[in-house]
Amino acid sequence: MKKIPRFLVGLSLACLLIILPACGDNTPSRFEGAQQESIDAGSRNTAVSKDAVKGAGFNQFFPVSEGGYERVFTQEKDGFVEAVLKESGENVALLTVFDTVSNPSAKDDFADSQGEINGYPLAQKGSQATALLVADRYQVSVRSSNDSFTVNDREVWLSKFDLNGLANLD
Amino acid sequence: MSKSIYDLVDNLPKRNVTTMVLNALDFVAPGQWQNPTNFEQMIRDISQETDEKWIQKIGDRAVWLYNDKNQGYQKALWLYQTVDSADYALGAAALANKVGEKIGFLSFLNKLTPSNQKAQALDLSLKLVVEVVAFCQINGLPGDSIGDFVKALKEYEGEALMRMAALVCIDGLIPFGADFILSVKSTLDNLTPKELSQNSAFSKVSKLIPGGNPAGQLQFIGSSFNAVQGWMTGFVGDRNLTQGKVMNNLQNFVEFSNDQLDYVAAFLDMSTNYFEHTGTQSIATRLIRRAMAEV
Repeated sequence: MKKIPRFLVGLSLACLLIILPACGDNTPSRFEGAQQESIDAGSRNTAVSKDAVKGAGFNQFFPVSEGGYERVFTQEKDGFVEAVLKESGENVALLTVFDTVSNPSAKDDFADSQGEINGYPLAQKGSQATALLVADRYQVSVRSSNDSFTVNDREVWLSKFDLNGLANLD
Repeated sequence: MSKSIYDLVDNLPKRNVTTMVLNALDFVAPGQWQNPTNFEQMIRDISQETDEKWIQKIGDRAVWLYNDKNQGYQKALWLYQTVDSADYALGAAALANKVGEKIGFLSFLNKLTPSNQKAQALDLSLKLVVEVVAFCQINGLPGDSIGDFVKALKEYEGEALMRMAALVCIDGLIPFGADFILSVKSTLDNLTPKELSQNSAFSKVSKLIPGGNPAGQLQFIGSSFNAVQGWMTGFVGDRNLTQGKVMNNLQNFVEFSNDQLDYVAAFLDMSTNYFEHTGTQSIATRLIRRAMAEV
């Protein structure tokens, strides 16, 4: 059998080395920047400030169940509480309070606020959520989980939070 | 450094034995589980946003939250990964080339050893306890009372409901039949702390199970089981679930006869990692929901 010329072997190997890494989907994720920054920042207390209010402190300011509406608490973490709002058993909205001390950039949307409820600035957060900034710190949001729950419904439910109580939380 | 949350979700198998088993159990929780395996798409589906600016903000925030070790998400994932049978790798390798065709059971019967009743009962109880502990790591303790907490458990939907459906069917009904709650309860009642500490599945997750020592942990396992017993009874009753129905649905892709039930249980233990698979999806779902409110 004829020997394969050495340069051909080398050439094929070189080609393999170039081609192989191109196989598979190597497109970097659009969230890679956040991952890298987060790793550089460390692994503890980097996403949630040590000064964030304990979530349980927010519960008392949430609207209560009424009429055909039921409020069910679903998450309670440092500086964050989430409740589901159900109408006749169907999820219609998410009610949340967030202590922006852990992510102050959330407050940027209120800088050019066009509206208010009870004196607190109001902002649309994307197409599905409406939020208030209370005491320049707590972001109270209502997010529609159902098309039937309109912007107007969101504002009505925002006004049902005990906003002044939350503003005086120490 | 551990993997990013988007890598974990994006690398979930689209189709393997686990997803086939879960799909076969769709009749238990119809349409609840779509096997999300793309983190960005999950953000779009959950948030219903189309504006790229918001997709980016939500995803970035979720990445940071997952990486903060104090927030419990990594512990929860570890629990979900660890409680799935250690034999998984063996099973997965044996079945890797079987996906897509009907799996002939006899071909690898010799690789299976059915667990005894005690080990099986403990397996179910440990998975339940892991679910309770992981739930608290992910969601905290929502509300101000036990009543609020039980209500939060009832909110299980999507992949979390699928996980519980699989637990009831695969680790309850198949090995024990309709009386599985009673069988497991009586096994737990007769179990000694020493037997518990000798169990290999328990020793792997024990450091995250409350109770202080094996005696206290056994008590915690017992009370967790009691707490969700009513829910499980309702789950089975409302859907009229029987061992036969579950087996019929599984027989669509695995060939076995009814006298091989013990082996079916061992087979499913070995070849699936449904806790890790759906657990990863649950963590991502809750992270995204939290991140939506924190941007």
